[in-house]
Amino acid sequence: MDAHAAQHAIAATPAFSSQPEDLAWFILLLPLIAAASIAFGVRRSSFLSSTLSISATVVAFFLSIALFLAFGVGGYPAVTSPFNWIHVGGLQVDLGVTVDRLSVLMLLIVTGVSSLVQIYSTAYLKGDPGLSRYFGSISLFTFSMLGIVLADNLVMMFVFWELVGVSSYLLIGFWFDKPSAADAAKKAFLTNRLGDFGFMLGILVVWSATGSVQFTQIGNVLGGNPGALGGLASIAGLLIFCGAMGKSAQFPLHVWLPDAMEGPTPVSALIHAATMVAAGVYMLCRAFVLFQAPGAWPAHLWFLGNISALDIIALIGGFTALLAALIAFQQDDIKRILAYSTLSQLGYMVMAVGCGGPDAAMYHLTTHAGFKALLFLGAGAVIHACHHEQNIWKMGGLWKRLPITFRTFVIGTAALAGFPILTSGFYSKDAILVAALDGGHPVLFGLGVLVASFTTFYMLRLVIVAFFGPYRSEAASHAHEAPIAMTWPLITLAIPSIAVAWFGLGDYLSSHFNPHFHAHEGGGLFGPFNHAPLAAVFGSGALLFGATAAFGLYWGADSDPLPARLGLLGRAMRNRFYFDEIYEGIFVPMHDMLGRLFGAVDRWVVSGLGIRGTHGSVELFGRALRLLQTGNLQTYTFLFAAGVAVVVFVATK
Amino acid sequence: MNYSLLSLEILLTLLGVGVLLGDLWIPASARKLIGYGAATGAGILLTYAIGSGAPADGTAFGGLFVVDALSNYFKGFFLLAALVVLLLTVSQSDTIKGYAEYCALILFATVGMLFAASANDFVLMFVALELITVTFFVLVSYDRNRSGSLEAGVKYLIMGALASAFMVFGIALIFGSAGTTNFYEIAAHQSTLAKSPVFLIGLLLTLVGLGFKIAAVPFQMWAPDVYQGAPAITTAFLATGSKAAGFALLLRVAFSAVPEITAHWSRLFLVMGVLTLLYGSFCAIAQRSVKRLMGYSSIANAGYLLLGIAAVSLNGSTAVLTYLGGYIFTVLAGFAVISAIAAHTGSDDVSAFAGLGQRSPILATGLTVSLVSLAGIPPMAGFFGKFLLLKAVAAHAGTERFFLVALLAACVGVVISLYYYFGVIRSIFWPRSVADLTVIPVDGATRLALILSIAGVFYIGIFPNSLVVGARQAAAGLAPQTAVAAKAPAAPAHH
Repeated sequence: MDAHAAQHAIAATPAFSSQPEDLAWFILLLPLIAAASIAFGVRRSSFLSSTLSISATVVAFFLSIALFLAFGVGGYPAVTSPFNWIHVGGLQVDLGVTVDRLSVLMLLIVTGVSSLVQIYSTAYLKGDPGLSRYFGSISLFTFSMLGIVLADNLVMMFVFWELVGVSSYLLIGFWFDKPSAADAAKKAFLTNRLGDFGFMLGILVVWSATGSVQFTQIGNVLGGNPGALGGLASIAGLLIFCGAMGKSAQFPLHVWLPDAMEGPTPVSALIHAATMVAAGVYMLCRAFVLFQAPGAWPAHLWFLGNISALDIIALIGGFTALLAALIAFQQDDIKRILAYSTLSQLGYMVMAVGCGGPDAAMYHLTTHAGFKALLFLGAGAVIHACHHEQNIWKMGGLWKRLPITFRTFVIGTAALAGFPILTSGFYSKDAILVAALDGGHPVLFGLGVLVASFTTFYMLRLVIVAFFGPYRSEAASHAHEAPIAMTWPLITLAIPSIAVAWFGLGDYLSSHFNPHFHAHEGGGLFGPFNHAPLAAVFGSGALLFGATAAFGLYWGADSDPLPARLGLLGRAMRNRFYFDEIYEGIFVPMHDMLGRLFGAVDRWVVSGLGIRGTHGSVELFGRALRLLQTGNLQTYTFLFAAGVAVVVFVATK
Repeated sequence: MNYSLLSLEILLTLLGVGVLLGDLWIPASARKLIGYGAATGAGILLTYAIGSGAPADGTAFGGLFVVDALSNYFKGFFLLAALVVLLLTVSQSDTIKGYAEYCALILFATVGMLFAASANDFVLMFVALELITVTFFVLVSYDRNRSGSLEAGVKYLIMGALASAFMVFGIALIFGSAGTTNFYEIAAHQSTLAKSPVFLIGLLLTLVGLGFKIAAVPFQMWAPDVYQGAPAITTAFLATGSKAAGFALLLRVAFSAVPEITAHWSRLFLVMGVLTLLYGSFCAIAQRSVKRLMGYSSIANAGYLLLGIAAVSLNGSTAVLTYLGGYIFTVLAGFAVISAIAAHTGSDDVSAFAGLGQRSPILATGLTVSLVSLAGIPPMAGFFGKFLLLKAVAAHAGTERFFLVALLAACVGVVISLYYYFGVIRSIFWPRSVADLTVIPVDGATRLALILSIAGVFYIGIFPNSLVVGARQAAAGLAPQTAVAAKAPAAPAHH
């Protein structure tokens, strides 16, 4: 049987002909080959492992550029190249790649950031005994992430979705001798799985309603009949969104992301800034057609009226953006500030999708991938220089000691804050604010402006405290610039943080989602001020406001003046609004209680007086066994007979 | 009568007898040869069964015994399980007292499973089940020096006897009311029989016996104790072969003999399934013994499988068969590791697995793959079975609220299961306290068994098509009207 099917699969695999989409298969498989070779071959040599992994990713990056030129710029029509994976009766799932403007852009981001992060890691993790394992896991991760990007159907996407979860589990838990790292890895994995179950149910609902899991086919079905999802339209959308909620860490599943900072810093840059957390947003954009169906609910949820899934998504995104920005105000750990900032920016993107602007969301995803990876890698350089000190109040004065890191970090901060005209972040943030206005969500627009000013505030707080003022610790005064393998990835990433928006990326994405799109009159660098002045002016104003506040409060400050002014609110912010405590207070005891309840029943049924579990002496064990054998079998047989009676009664009733 | 239909059963019995006789001539120092010989024999039969040697469809003994897509599907897996389990015994050929008998008993139990896969009559079903159960009484208590093993044996004996008693009583009632015990003949009269309370009670009592085999709530009490107490190799076979045999019979009774009544009882299966999977999942949380954990996991998995039966659809049955196929590989990989650890450290406590990642990478990989697959994570075999099962259940969820509840319960069960499966994985790679880091030696036979199972888990996970095609053919053959007619010989790509 096996040979038969394998033959079938091989025969169906597209041969590498001159078709450009076949390149996509090759890009996808390169990191997998690297991962497999590391795992089964060269894992004893960390040098070979890193070289292999880096070269595979870099080659994949250059091939992605070729694809980008062909499909993105060259105007090749979008293609999919499926081959049969499962074809049985009514069940049909193909394994296929989609190559279009959206996926080639993502390919560039993933392979590009992954290459830089890996190069950076060779210096950052120099001498770590687990280096081969690290590069093997990162190759596996890159493969999985590329799979999500290229998948042309929901089931395949789900499979790679899970693979991403597994490989990130390995990476977050890389320093497994730290119990906190192992805990964080487990927390990330479990929280993600919670969302994934919603995702899976959503796939099942879409599948039964439209008869397909393939994106273009679903699009065709919904295009012909927008009501094809019936009363389940909103629910299906929300279930699919559950997946994004886990991966992109949206409220209330956001708790795993800050803890995941226990992994090595380059991992945070790759996974928690540029790629994995972006997967949720990417998936929403890829499956956007599902969300365009008019909102509808099952009959007994009539009171929800015609609220669509998108409305709820926009609210959750906006709320996450605000919540995370507030928490970031009062964090002292440099990586945690960036983590909450990432949460907040992801909320921004999700809000954009919810407002009906997937192009704006993808735009921000792209620019954010660049500058947030830059910020994380910069933070890594700072931590590296300060001997693994992560508290910003123990840094200070670093602008003199780490000139390159400082300059690139400031560029990243400016981009994140959305400094007008000069940075890419300005344009993408503006696109989101415009989407909120155009989508008829003035409240979310206001919230977006507020979050923008908060963002500027907490980022400048970080820069001022960590890089200016006096040296606040011994480590800071002896800090010195990172090696070149770490600095030039920073410099490379600084370029797109400035320049990515100059080449009409916004129009590129808009024309993907809307074939009738025409570039705005009077585009160019000052475009935002011309065609949507309200958003651009408010965005810039927010920046100014946030910057003024940050300079006023923190320039020359020795300690944080904010807690005194904020009082109770400040404490709540500092403690992340007690989410972890609340979850611990609700879920863990519930879990424990259920476990204990079942355990007690079980113990009563199974081991009489609860001797199992105690590690008693042999004699005690022997006595207990005697006790078990008489007492328990009777209980067993009694329960068995009672079970028979119940089953017969229920079935014949 | 066409005896070639029974060729597998006959040859396997001869192999078992041969093993017993071989023990008389093979010197004690070369005892390993017995295990290798038995495993090779099972391997040859396996290739024969899934290759061109598979008997064409037909019936023997006046309809008592049937060979069809379903029986061929299961027989391949039973032989595979026997092969892997026999390979696992080789490393312990010196410590198992009465090694040849142990191997022979495994082979005889397998014969019982083969008969179970082909049983088309309540009487043959009972005989086949007894052959399995009675050999397992001995296999479970084989570790005679350990009171835990003896205790498990006695428990299994008494509970098994109780279940058999109910079952044989049920069969008597069925015969009394229907006048026949043949599945097809019962199927022909099922609409009149469905009105007879005596028949229904008889049928239910028969199902109780099967419920015992698959460890479904409320007949699951024995499973954790027996799984924990029995020698690890026996547990491996109990969790795969014996359980799959129970499901083979359950599928046949439910869909070949009384499909209309099954459709009527769909909700009963559903409730049992939900209770079973929740019971298994919750009880597993607190476990420290990995064997016991696997016992609860086995209960939980029976629950998922029952949901597929409750769906009463071709997709549901296909999902059950696919799930079982992946499950067998998965569990074999897990127990290959557990038995190696138990033999080396004498313990199956989670702490015995601490730092396994450093002590033996191959054992660590095997157990991790197994647990990840059990948790239903792609691209392992366990994912696809679970996915198809949930899909079959979801197909009814829109119209029937019971199924929606079952779907949610299944999700809860899966999420909980992650918690305890990953607890073990964590201890393998990230031990809290590293005790002993000496290398654990793994012999060639165990290595082979492990590689075979791991390869199966990945193959099914990555190319599920081959398995699903076979499962669907097998499930389609369950319908009574099509099964009677002589069908075209099935393609060799069955399993």
